[in-house]
Amino acid sequence: MALLASAVRLTVPILLTALGAVYSERGGVFNIGLEGIMIMGTFFGAAITHLAAQALPGAATDVAPLVGMLAAMAAGVAFSLIHALVSVTFRVDQIISGVALNLLAVGLARLLNILFFGVATQSPGIRGFTPVSIPLLRDVPALAPIATGISPVILAALGLIVVGQWVLLRTVFGLRLRSVGEHPAAADTLGINVVGMRYAGVLISGALAGLAGGYLSIEQGRGYLEGMTQGRGFIALAAMIFGNWWPLGALGASALFGYFEALSLRVVHTVIPYQFITVLPHIASILVLAGFVRRATPPAADGIPYSKEEN
Amino acid sequence: MSVRFRLGLLQILAPFLAIGFGALVASGIILAIGQNPLEVYGLMVRFSLTRSDSIAAILFKATPLIFAGLAVALSFRANVWNIGVEGQYYVGGFAAAWVGFTVRGLPGVLHLGTAVLAGALAGALWALLPIGLKLRRGAHEVITTIMMNYIAGALVLYLLADVYRDPAQAGTPRVRTPEFPPGARPPLLRPLLDAVGVSIPEHSALNAFLLLAIVLCLTAAVVLARSRFGFEVRATALNPMAAEAAGIRLGRTQLLMFLASGAVAGLIGLSDILGFFGYFDIDFPKGLGFLGISVALVARNHPIGVIPAALLFGFLDRGAQGVQVFADVPREVITILQAIIILAIVVAYELLTRYVRAQRKREAERLVATPVVAVAEGG
Repeated sequence: MALLASAVRLTVPILLTALGAVYSERGGVFNIGLEGIMIMGTFFGAAITHLAAQALPGAATDVAPLVGMLAAMAAGVAFSLIHALVSVTFRVDQIISGVALNLLAVGLARLLNILFFGVATQSPGIRGFTPVSIPLLRDVPALAPIATGISPVILAALGLIVVGQWVLLRTVFGLRLRSVGEHPAAADTLGINVVGMRYAGVLISGALAGLAGGYLSIEQGRGYLEGMTQGRGFIALAAMIFGNWWPLGALGASALFGYFEALSLRVVHTVIPYQFITVLPHIASILVLAGFVRRATPPAADGIPYSKEEN
Repeated sequence: MSVRFRLGLLQILAPFLAIGFGALVASGIILAIGQNPLEVYGLMVRFSLTRSDSIAAILFKATPLIFAGLAVALSFRANVWNIGVEGQYYVGGFAAAWVGFTVRGLPGVLHLGTAVLAGALAGALWALLPIGLKLRRGAHEVITTIMMNYIAGALVLYLLADVYRDPAQAGTPRVRTPEFPPGARPPLLRPLLDAVGVSIPEHSALNAFLLLAIVLCLTAAVVLARSRFGFEVRATALNPMAAEAAGIRLGRTQLLMFLASGAVAGLIGLSDILGFFGYFDIDFPKGLGFLGISVALVARNHPIGVIPAALLFGFLDRGAQGVQVFADVPREVITILQAIIILAIVVAYELLTRYVRAQRKREAERLVATPVVAVAEGG
């Protein structure tokens, strides 16, 4: 059961980022930069939580982490704006833009950490949210470990998934976003603002990846540590593909990766060297992408820049 | 002719404009930490270009970056994204090291040659899985290669810590392989440079891998520009469907270029590992594969352009050391400068490409329109 609780905790950052990736790619924009956006989220989440806690000593304990979470999301949005500008407005290849974003994030996080805290690689320790328990589930003995003392962000993440599925399937915004990712020229002739919708998709993905980063540093790490994202931004992309570009699918896939990760943290004494256990999620990602588990169909215009003149 | 001249000039100016833009943004950061950007840049240039040890350091730093940039460029040229250069470099570096410390009794040149081949082969093998999965099963190579990077890191760590750790280092915190015999070490360039009157410091580890890197770039450029295979690669990149219709086997072209990319990636670490350390250490330089992406982008994936681009990054890296030590500016400022240069450069190239296309279109329209005008004037 402890394994399951740990799996749930480890699922959340992958899940939130995968959900972000769904929004971005449904709108037709690859976002390899999600890893970098997460890094920004981990730094700003921890740094702003720390500063808020110092600035508001008398406030309720949950105020500082809340401010930090919002800052992580804002940083994610600001950072993803660069990706949108470079790849949607200037129509530079989306993979190149994302790769550059990741390089920028690594340097920026180090520099900012030096400026804020004097060292390059970690922030002071911080306090996260007060853990919550789910009223009915905690009374069921079998579910108690995963229903008591959990981060409220876990519940928020599950809520965001359900909302995401509804938004994409049932709202005008969702339909328009998907149309822009499937056939931007057709969407354009119907008067849908292709550039605007793609910006929306990318910025939402930035907010969610920023939130995922904030969760990592505020709730899980209790502080920022360089490299704490450990490639989860990329694993999230695999989860999105495995989830067939739908939020509920991403939930299932992220849970699988979260489980592998929890397993890799726990299995220590086996014949398999521990170094290989730690890359179980990465191996699983490759198998998923190769379609050994299931075939996937991406949005038709995913990754293709759109220009009015050339279509 | 003048249009052509203008376009040529723009092509050359574009990277400089992007570097200027990057420097401008970085100036803002330098100002924000309370320093004078002009002084910092001045110090950087003086420190990097006027000291003979700096020149040697830039060339030594550029050596792995030329391999890395070329590796990335080779795959990008064929429209496949090898983001796994980092992992191929780990595996290739370790394979070369393994030949270095296990093989005994080979004469010098052969030992070194075997190590180089092992590095290239291991790099290509590590690239085989992602490209195979892409061509056979449609798995997106960007994500699979990134995953392969993590797996390569774990594999090398395992081999280093649990299998091949130097028994002489047991009990110390050092995790490294046994040392290589002199036969596996590349010849240093200092005697050669001395002979032509260029003096570099005695401790410089600048070695023959710099020459190998340059030769590989030139070879790649000639093959791409002049050979039948090079034509197929260019056709594939320009218009995959037309290329396929013309009988070019798309998958084969991409497979070969991707494997070549992996093979070159396998050589990235050799200058450092064989030429400088003399053993494979757990703290071997990391991130060179990712820097290779930057180098290739600045070079617009041209094998010869990779050389000046790698020198630029070598210069920035050396300059970063200078400003960190002498101006108290964190070297991360220069890392950010690099990333901004990349973003600015890709935007500049994109705008340029679009401008060129628009110019060509206008010219074509004028050519089509001319006879009509002549007839109208005649009537």
